[in-house]
Amino acid sequence: MSAPRAAGGSRVGIVVVSHSRALAEAAVGLAAEVVSGRPARTAVAAGLDESTFGTDAVRIAAAVEEVDDGDGVVVLMDVGSAVLSAELALELLPDDVRERVVLSPAPLVEGLLVASVVAAGGADRAEVAAEARAALLAKDTHLGTAPDGEPAPAADGRLTGSFVVANPHGLHARPAARLVGEVRRLDADVTVRNLTTGAGPVPAGSLSRVATLGALRGHEVEVAAAGPEAREAVDRVLALAARAFDEAPDPDGERPDPAPSAGPLPASPGIAIGPAVRLRAVPVPVDERPAGPPEHEERRLADALAAVRRDVRRTRDRTGPGQAGVFDAHLLLLDDAELTGAARAGTDAGTSAAGAWARAVTALEAQWAALPDPYLRARAADVRAVGDQVLRVLAGQAPVHDVDVDGVLVAEDLTPALAGALDPGRVLGVVLSGSSPTAHAVILVRALGIPAVVAAGPGLLDVPDGTPLVVDGTEGRVLVDPPAAVAEEYRTRRRELADRRARDAAEAPREAVTRDGRRVAVSANVGSVTDARAAAAAGADGVGLLRTEVLFLDRDRPPTAEEQEREYAAVLDALAGRPVTVRTLDVGGDKPLRYWPQAAEANPFLGVRGLRLSLTRPDLLRTQLAAVCRAARHGPVRLMVPMVTVVEEVLAVRRLLTEAAAPGPVPDGLRVGVMVEVPAVALNIEAFLPHVDFLSIGTNDLTQYTLAAERGSPALAALADPLDPAVLRLVGETASRAAGRVPVSVCGEAAADPAAVPVLVGLGVRELSVAPSAVPTVKAAVRRLDSGACAELARRCLAAAGAAEVRALVRAAVADGPGVRSRPAPDA
Amino acid sequence: MEQVSTDDLLAWIRLFARLVAENRDALTELDAAIGDADHGANMHRGTTAALAAVDGAAPASAGALVKKVGMTLVSTVGGASGPLYGTFFLRVGTALGEEASVAPADVAAALRAGLEGVVTRGRAEAGDKTMVDALAPAVAACEEALAAGRPWAEALAAAADAAAAGRDATTPMVARKGRASYLGERSAGHQDPGATSAALLVAAAAQTLAGGGAGG
Repeated sequence: MSAPRAAGGSRVGIVVVSHSRALAEAAVGLAAEVVSGRPARTAVAAGLDESTFGTDAVRIAAAVEEVDDGDGVVVLMDVGSAVLSAELALELLPDDVRERVVLSPAPLVEGLLVASVVAAGGADRAEVAAEARAALLAKDTHLGTAPDGEPAPAADGRLTGSFVVANPHGLHARPAARLVGEVRRLDADVTVRNLTTGAGPVPAGSLSRVATLGALRGHEVEVAAAGPEAREAVDRVLALAARAFDEAPDPDGERPDPAPSAGPLPASPGIAIGPAVRLRAVPVPVDERPAGPPEHEERRLADALAAVRRDVRRTRDRTGPGQAGVFDAHLLLLDDAELTGAARAGTDAGTSAAGAWARAVTALEAQWAALPDPYLRARAADVRAVGDQVLRVLAGQAPVHDVDVDGVLVAEDLTPALAGALDPGRVLGVVLSGSSPTAHAVILVRALGIPAVVAAGPGLLDVPDGTPLVVDGTEGRVLVDPPAAVAEEYRTRRRELADRRARDAAEAPREAVTRDGRRVAVSANVGSVTDARAAAAAGADGVGLLRTEVLFLDRDRPPTAEEQEREYAAVLDALAGRPVTVRTLDVGGDKPLRYWPQAAEANPFLGVRGLRLSLTRPDLLRTQLAAVCRAARHGPVRLMVPMVTVVEEVLAVRRLLTEAAAPGPVPDGLRVGVMVEVPAVALNIEAFLPHVDFLSIGTNDLTQYTLAAERGSPALAALADPLDPAVLRLVGETASRAAGRVPVSVCGEAAADPAAVPVLVGLGVRELSVAPSAVPTVKAAVRRLDSGACAELARRCLAAAGAAEVRALVRAAVADGPGVRSRPAPDA
Repeated sequence: MEQVSTDDLLAWIRLFARLVAENRDALTELDAAIGDADHGANMHRGTTAALAAVDGAAPASAGALVKKVGMTLVSTVGGASGPLYGTFFLRVGTALGEEASVAPADVAAALRAGLEGVVTRGRAEAGDKTMVDALAPAVAACEEALAAGRPWAEALAAAADAAAAGRDATTPMVARKGRASYLGERSAGHQDPGATSAALLVAAAAQTLAGGGAGG
């Protein structure tokens, strides 16, 4: 639905035509409930009188004139004569009025609700009519994804379904690539259409065409399929969409809105100091003269595409699985029938391979560059990058495998291939005049740990090679040939950062103990064996949270107990005797599993998720519990259940655990704990304590639920602060009541927040579970603390008015001294 | 050649209203079988109101009189017949123009315009089991008779016969428009109420529009 407009938007009137006046008036009343602010002008033309059913064209015409302010009127009708009367009413209206009346085919109630909201927001009549017309889609989608839902056959016999794009950046290259990959495997002719903008339909098997839909977050997209596997195709695409196209959340959180004028922007933290080395964009030659007949040119193009495909695969394998999506998208472009087809049409017509390819690429790049969303527009760079790679091969140039740069690389932009080829040992820093922190190449630079600043402006491109540069990738600053004293200060800071990182890493394997001798375990949150190895290498005291979702997602049947046991045992092996906390499956309606259909929910975070969902399929939960029991043979395992609300749920898990362990007993020492995420658990913690062996506070969800602020919503980022005193009180209540009875850990992001660590320790938390890479830093932070001073700080934070005051208190306390004020500690 | 006067037109409306009143229950019964059992009541309410609107103070021109009837039907019938009969009379009225009397050929042309309005409004074709199945053959028969040089009264009589035959022909049809179409095959075997009231309209015309005293 459109956002409310600024004053001065359209004033579209609405007329409701029905056989029944009571029905029309009730519908108008219902719509008024959902509209906030100034409602749209609405008139009813319904019934011959209060109680006689019928429609009257004369009254409809009068109603239209009554609500028409010059911006037009949208007429919604019920059935039969309502439609005929409304059409007749148009004939009765003066020409100028008639021209601005739209008769909407929308279902009366749904259409009226949507039209009222959109019209009140100032949309014009075409938009109001379009939104009203699409009003049934919400219901369609809902019922279409319900367990018994059937994709609706469209008029031409194609099966259709629709979904709303949930990905923060819309259907950009990576999710689009997943979509394309999924439908290409099936024997079906699949198209997609952006219902919100009307773009398309386009073939779903073409990455380039899918991207031109301009499907942004919140847009509704229709998928239509024909052919033997049409149903499978629609189902799979809807399931994929429900999983946000398997796009992992951006590790750096929500992207900052790209604002090109707002540069320079910090893009990769750290400080780099060194000579500027300009990486010049070498224009790739395009030889327009065909070297032979069309078949020959086509052959050359196919060979070049194959060569680049091999090259891209190599780069992908080198950069690791985290960034593979970028290169998978490039591979799909190389296979894109639209793109290669256009080029082949060129060679057929007698153009050279290079000329035909260059023109096809330029046309596609222009299509992407014309998209309204800046993030999608930035994807035009991917097209150019792949296009140039192919042209380089056609021109007989060697592919770029490494960048010959010692110093700070300065360029307009980087291709992902180039970024993946950077050697962190030689490239000290990266400064780009353009690009954005979310560009694929920049994400790669960040993954390599090279400090970077982007959107630095074209001025830097004029800096001669060898000019001393200072790049502060944390603050987003570039200093050109700074005075010696300034450069020296940055050098000192860089050294301090490096020293501290080295010291922290060296110290990390040791236990973290506060200055007054209290041990705080720092463990790691992991989701795979690879993560677990990284955690062990980083000195983690254990795994505080093993996410098991990866085992369950994106497959056709649930993992067996044996499969799960193998995975848990491998994690235990990696941790070499340190404890591992296995969290049972934590998914909800937002992440449906193929073998476990779930009804779509209006608000999945308040729906059937976590343990609530697991308890609906005790067989699956029992299998997971059995796997945990068996894994206990390999090392110290703890069992943790997510999204618990009431004690009965814990008792149910314990019962299932006993059944799962049968015929043997539940392994000795298998501790069972619950996550404190729902405020009700923290508030009622006494009731839980007799039944749990440990508690782990998930601050992300606890914050979301306490402050009623969706996590991940950029608009609510300031509100959803885990340092809000309301959240801290729940943490404090949990920790103080549990003190001396069961251990309390924190496994949310707050555990790694430097401002939160002293407060959490002060509240009595004795285990922090953080990302593997944060383990050394958090351990170092703990070693600087004095638990008594922290307790005093925590007490003052609990009395603070809000999160901002808490953060100010922490800043002041830290400034007071490394121990957060050294004062004798009253026992916590 | 004789002319059709506003008085003749008024007599047409008066007789149509009387026929509808007399057949009110029959129309409702027909509608009960394949529709929502309101056609008799709706048409009775509409034609009574239309007659009242023009009876006391008949508008000066033929077109104005018929248009007034159309507007009144639009506002008082309630069901689909409202906009359909309303459109018919509005189109006929517009075609008749602002004269006090009209030549038969122009009346026939006006009836053709009215029929076209109904077809456009209802998107109905011949054979859909609607009022068009009575009106369309009636208008065609009238035009043919006039083209063959037969007298106006004979042309109207031919129209009435054609309308009655058309009405009867709806009985075996499967409805494709309107409420009756919801019944599908089960609508066959019932005479269409809309075609029935339309045949009454043409019958009333045959008895009134051929001038003084032709009607009874």
